[in-house]
Amino acid sequence: MINKFKHPRNFMILLILLFVVIIGASISGSANITASNSIKIIFSRIPVFGEGIDLTDIPKSHLTIVHNIRLPRILLSFIVGFGLSVVGVALQGLLKNPMADPFIMGTSSGAALGAAIAILLKLNMAFLGVGIISVFAFFGALLATFIVYQLAKVKNKVPVTTLLLGGIAVGQLFTAMMSFIMVISSKDVTSIVYWTMGSFSSRGWNHIQVAVLPIFLGTAIIYIFAKDLNILLLGESTAQNTGVEVEKVKGIILAISALVTAFAVSVSGIIGFVGLIIPHIVRMLVGPDHRILIPASGLLGGIFLIVADTLARTMISPTEIPVGIITALAGGPFFIYLLRNSKRAI
Amino acid sequence: MKNSISTKAITFKYDESTIVDEISLQVKSGSFLTIIGPNGSGKSTLLKLIAANLTPDEGTILINDRQLTSYKMKDLAKEMAVVPQDTNVAYDFDVFDIVLMGRNPHLKRFQKEGDADFAIVRDAMEQTNTWHLRERKVNEISGGERQRVIIARALAQQPKIILLDEPTSSLDIHHQIEVLELLKRLNQEKEVTIVAVLHDMNLAARYSQEVLLLHVGKIITMGKTEDVMTVENLQRAYKMEMIIQRNIYTNALEVIPLSLSAKKEKRTNKKIHLVCGGGTGKELLQHLLEEGYKVSMGVVNVGDSDWELGKLLAIPMAEEKPFSEISEEALGKAEKLANESNLSIMTSVPIGWGNIKNLQLVKNQLQQSKKVFLYKQNLWGERTDFTEGRGNALIEELKSLGLQEISTMEELLNQLGEYK
Repeated sequence: MINKFKHPRNFMILLILLFVVIIGASISGSANITASNSIKIIFSRIPVFGEGIDLTDIPKSHLTIVHNIRLPRILLSFIVGFGLSVVGVALQGLLKNPMADPFIMGTSSGAALGAAIAILLKLNMAFLGVGIISVFAFFGALLATFIVYQLAKVKNKVPVTTLLLGGIAVGQLFTAMMSFIMVISSKDVTSIVYWTMGSFSSRGWNHIQVAVLPIFLGTAIIYIFAKDLNILLLGESTAQNTGVEVEKVKGIILAISALVTAFAVSVSGIIGFVGLIIPHIVRMLVGPDHRILIPASGLLGGIFLIVADTLARTMISPTEIPVGIITALAGGPFFIYLLRNSKRAI
Repeated sequence: MKNSISTKAITFKYDESTIVDEISLQVKSGSFLTIIGPNGSGKSTLLKLIAANLTPDEGTILINDRQLTSYKMKDLAKEMAVVPQDTNVAYDFDVFDIVLMGRNPHLKRFQKEGDADFAIVRDAMEQTNTWHLRERKVNEISGGERQRVIIARALAQQPKIILLDEPTSSLDIHHQIEVLELLKRLNQEKEVTIVAVLHDMNLAARYSQEVLLLHVGKIITMGKTEDVMTVENLQRAYKMEMIIQRNIYTNALEVIPLSLSAKKEKRTNKKIHLVCGGGTGKELLQHLLEEGYKVSMGVVNVGDSDWELGKLLAIPMAEEKPFSEISEEALGKAEKLANESNLSIMTSVPIGWGNIKNLQLVKNQLQQSKKVFLYKQNLWGERTDFTEGRGNALIEELKSLGLQEISTMEELLNQLGEYK
């Protein structure tokens, strides 16, 4: 009860942090762009509000760099981080399992297999402005989730344990198939490995167009069930007896989670760790109430991924590090630190 | 009166084994029913079926005369709350928030809890004595406290029916009684229908008007507590020897388990006559029966606590009127019982002018060179002679005739075992 009065303030802090991180990310890189110019460029893109901003004294190249290269990456990493974290929160709550993350239902291996097939078949054409690899990854992810869901279903119910085990089994199977592709086509190994580690390199506005609506819409739907997710933490039977249509909620959240994850994966590759640790960190900060946890995790997850991507492209520039490496490298130790210092059990 | 719960031939199977077998029952609105039965009799499963957590393979369930399957979960939760056996909560909520979740069925999806909801939650928490825990984390409080919190959550639903699965299993005796008194009050004052699975038959007998006795998925009997809680019924379910009596303090029926009836192989034909009184023979009597001996008793006065137990266990006894001196007639009967026995045991019963003739009985046995043990415990203190020395003198005389004194139960049973 006491916490609830602090929450508006917490959200303000997160929003300010988001703004600072976006500006920070937009000025990091080899081109030397000042913060004020960057702010001007970004604000000028906001409809109505931005029309009065004067950009005449900013070099054209800077306009292009910020607007066409950095800003889409920043926004895309925010969207992906937002989606993965919200899905992570929802699945950890729904499955009552702190190990749950967006990829728990075999999503990542399905996507990886899809991408590997596309890379193997040299499918380089674009679809709706997005590479065919993304499309294959998207359907691979959905296929894996669908198989896991069907496997786990017993008499119209989806028991959590079978779902988790099904996810592991199908994940292993798909990973094995992907490894097989890598073995028979050794020249594609580098591309496949890079893809599986996730990256926002050379992503543009077209990727945002594909991902933004499904991810925000999906997370909004998940938010509708925030109260039900709270009650589900008391156990499925108790939740049912407290008026939650458990199997319906489960079905919707699993389906939405799969879709959101598939969209995220299709534009960024597999970025691990965000969807696992951000929910835990935020839970430690604001408590387990999903009505606050979901938006807060989304914001922090987005911020975290912007920072990670900025590090990925600047640390050993001009070489790009796959962002998945950064998230694991930075997130892992920080998470362990939090675990050791937190009196609260996960 | 209308029915709160009614089931028609519901059957539930796990794989091939039938857990609940064609159970039909009616629970009238405003009743307090407890379900008892041994482990694996299907109590919890039956409760889960009624709670809609499980779906029966066959049969139908009506809640307030409406098909259970036709309810929306929210509407059902307004009618019926459930307190489960497992009260673990996955992540750490404040206790207050947990109880507040009980208001969910009464709120629309985006509706915030209002003052009325907070008042109801507070009331529920005060009734369950959990208000002081409101700011604690639910996983930091003890199991018993959590159980009461979950009951408070159920109360916050303001249901007309409450189902409880062993609500007192992790509570200490104080909180057990507190929870059951609370349920009784809700039942009587607010006419909430209560259905509880209880392991403890004595609590079941004390608090509920009706009892349902289950055994391997079938109803043995259901009805008024007095009609269900009989030795005959309970033996069918629990397969053991027991005594049912009215507790002298609460006047509730009370089950006293004695021994497993399965010890049949131990049966011997050996008969033992017991000379006791004043409660000195109670423990011994039960041990002897457990070991399979046939026991007779006497002379004891009617109303004596040894006599009461003997009566409950249907022991052949030579009786004398309450507080009266042993008559020749009673003594004669006792002599007859003792003569039919292989040996006798005398306890360290206090000797007064009323029962001193029992020593004569012992003497007669010894003179027939039959074995008599003196089981000396001093249950009533060092002094056992209230006849100015006569008693003690007689006992010394008996000892010289072969009365063997033994002071521990173990040794006594040992000696009995060796005695042919």
